[in-house]
Amino acid sequence: MAPTWPRLLPAGLALAALILGPDALSLAPNRLMPGAPLSAHDVLPGWAWLAVPLLALGAAPWRLAPLAAAGALLVLLAGLGAGAAALLDGAAPAARATLGSAAWVALAALAALVFWPGQRRLLAAALLVLGLGVLAWGGVLDGFSLAVEFRARREAVGAALATHLWLSLSALGLASALASLLALAGLASARLAAFFDALLGGVQVVPAIALFGLLVPLLAALLGAFPGLRAAGFGAIGATPALIGIALYLSLPLLRALRTGLTATDPAVIQAATALGMGRGRMLAWVRLPLGLPHFLGGLRVAAVQAVGLVTLGGLVGAGGLGALVFEGMSQFATDLILLGALPVVALALAVDAGLGAMERRA
Amino acid sequence: MIEFDDVTVRFGAAEAVRGVSVTIPAGALAVLVGPSGSGKTTLLRLVNRMATPSAGRVRVRGEDVAAADPARLRRSIGYVMQSMGLFPHWSVARNIGTVPALLGWPAARIAARVEELLALVRLDPALAGRRPAALSGGQAQRVGLARALAADPDILLMDEPFGAVDPIVRRELRAELTRIHAATGKTILLVTHDPIEALELATHLVVLREGQLVAAGEAAALAAPPAPPFLRALFGAEALALRRLSLLRVEGAALDGPAPAGAPVIAPEASLAEAWTLMQEHGAPVLAVGGRHLPWSALLPR
Ligand SMILES: Nc1ncnc2c1ncn2[C@@H]1O[C@H](COP(=O)(O)OP(=O)(O)OP(=O)(O)O)[C@@H](O)[C@H]1O
Ligand SMILES: [Mg+2]
Repeated sequence: MAPTWPRLLPAGLALAALILGPDALSLAPNRLMPGAPLSAHDVLPGWAWLAVPLLALGAAPWRLAPLAAAGALLVLLAGLGAGAAALLDGAAPAARATLGSAAWVALAALAALVFWPGQRRLLAAALLVLGLGVLAWGGVLDGFSLAVEFRARREAVGAALATHLWLSLSALGLASALASLLALAGLASARLAAFFDALLGGVQVVPAIALFGLLVPLLAALLGAFPGLRAAGFGAIGATPALIGIALYLSLPLLRALRTGLTATDPAVIQAATALGMGRGRMLAWVRLPLGLPHFLGGLRVAAVQAVGLVTLGGLVGAGGLGALVFEGMSQFATDLILLGALPVVALALAVDAGLGAMERRA
Repeated sequence: MIEFDDVTVRFGAAEAVRGVSVTIPAGALAVLVGPSGSGKTTLLRLVNRMATPSAGRVRVRGEDVAAADPARLRRSIGYVMQSMGLFPHWSVARNIGTVPALLGWPAARIAARVEELLALVRLDPALAGRRPAALSGGQAQRVGLARALAADPDILLMDEPFGAVDPIVRRELRAELTRIHAATGKTILLVTHDPIEALELATHLVVLREGQLVAAGEAAALAAPPAPPFLRALFGAEALALRRLSLLRVEGAALDGPAPAGAPVIAPEASLAEAWTLMQEHGAPVLAVGGRHLPWSALLPR
C-alpha cells in the first residue's frame, strides 16, 4: 500500500475549508451581482456535519477509505444543497445561491481523496456517480445557481457538448491523417523526417490563440482567391481556422508516437521479415503497425486530451463548443456560465484520458 | 546449386568478401567456418540478396540473383538467423506459417503444413498457440527452423542456428538437422563457430579468412589427416581427431564381454564421435553395445 500520510493533506484542507472558510455559499440578488458570503456554520444543517467523521474515515489507512471519502463528499453536497434551498426560500425569484470557494476547496479535496492513486477506486467512483445521480434527480442540488443556470441553458449546453466532441474528433482525425502521411514520408528519408519535426515543433511554439489569429486573415485571403471554397462550407472564422490550427498542434505528438512505434521494432525482427520475403506494405501491416500499437495509443491519448483542451480555445474564433460558453460567461462576468462550460471540458478530458489509458495498458 | 563467381562485397572502404569463387553442389550440407568478422554472414546473405555484390556474380539454381525479384527469391530460400527474429506478437503457428501466408496458400493448407512442421522439428503441438516469449531457447530455435522450412524451400541458409542453447539441446538439434537433410536432400549452407559442429555436420567445408576463401571442398577429404595447418589452427587438433572418430563405427571398436550395469547404451552403427559425446555427457567411461562393451580407451588411436 502507498504511504498513507500524504492523504492527510487533502483531508486537512477539506476540514480547514469547512471550519475556517468564510464562504461556503453566497446569496446574491441576481445572477450577475456578487453575493454576501456565508460560512459552513451559517448554512449547513446539523446532519451535514456527519461529513466530518466520514472525512476522518476517508483519510484513515484502511481498505474502505475511498468509499468513506465518497460518502463524505455526497453528505457535504447534500448539506450544501439543503442550505441553498433554505436560503432561497422566501428570497426574491431572481436571487441566486452560489457555491463559494470554501465549498469548492472542500469538495475538490474530498474528490482527491476518493481518487487517490494506489487504492481500489472503482467502487468508490461508482458510489459517487450513483449518489450524484440520486441527489440531482431528487432535486437536492436544484438550489445551486449552477443548476439554475443549467436549467436555463440546458439545450445550449447539450449542443455545445456535441459540437465540442465533434470538433475534437474532427481535429484528431485530420491530425492523424496528416501525421500518418508525414510519418510514412519520414520513414523513407531521415532528412525529410527531421524537416517535418522542425516544422511541427515550430508550430508548437506559437501560442494557440496567436495561431488561430494568424489563420483567420490567411484563410480570408485564400477564400477571396478561391470563392468556390466558401461555397463548400469553409469560412475564415468559425470551425475552419480552429480545426486547422488544432490539427497542426496535435500532429506533433501523433507524429512522434507514430515514428517511435514504427522505428522501435526490433531490428532482428525486421531483418527476419525481409529475409522471409515480406515487401514494404506487408512489413508495415503485419509487423511494424501491430508492434507499434502501444506507442500509437500513447500518442493518441496525449493528442486526444490536448484536442479537448484546444477546442475550448476554438470558441474564440467562433468555432462553438464548450469554449463558447466559457467566453460568453467571461464577457458577462457570469461565473456559473463559465463553470457550465469549463466543468464538462474537465470531465471530458479526464474521461478521454482514462478511457484511452485503459486501452493502452491492454494493448 | 549455389555458385559464387569472383564475388566481392564492399562496405565503404572495407571489403567484407574478397574475390570468392566457390560452388555448393545441390544436396550438399556446406558448413561455412572462419574467425569472427571473416565475412561468413555476408557470404550467406548474398544468396538471398540481403547483401549485394560490389563485383562478381551469385547464381542460385543456375540463375543470377541480381536478375531475380528479391521478395520471390527470399520466399524460395529458407533463412534461419542467429538471433531468430521470431515475430513477438504472433503465435508459434502463425510464425511458422509466415512464408506460406505470403505465398497466398489457403488457411486450411497452412494449418496442415504447420502441424507437419511441428512434428518434423519435434515440437509439442500444444505450443502452437504460444507467443515466442513463452518458449525456451531450444524451442524458439526449432520454431525458427520450422519457419524457414515452411514453404519447403530447396535451399536453406542457417547463420549460427544453434547459438543460444546448451550443449545437449545443441546435439539434439544437430541430429535433427542431419535427419532432415538426409530425408529431404535440401541444399544447406550453415555458419558455425563450433568446430565439432562443423566437422560433425558438414558434407562440404568452406573456410574463410579476412573475406578470402582459404579452402573449400568435401569435408572428409579436407579434414583427413594430415589436416592442413590452417584447419588445425582453426579447429584444434582434438576436433580433427574427433572428425576421424566420426568416420569409425562403434561395432568395429567394441570389445567382447558385457558392460557394467547402468552403463549408457549406444547403437552399434553409431560413430565413435557420438560414443565420445555420450561418455562426456554421462561421465561414463564405458558404454553398452548390445551384449558387448566399449571402454574409453578403445577411442584412442591405435
Ligand atoms: N552492413 C554492414 N555495414 C558495414 N560493414 C559491415 C556490414 N556488415 C558486415 N560488415 C563488416 O564486414 C565484415 C564481415 O562481416 P560478417 O558479418 O560477414 O562477418 P562474420 O564472419 O559473419 O562474423 P561473425 O562470426 O562475428 O558473425 C566485418 O568486418 C563487418 O564489420
Ligand atoms: Mg556472422
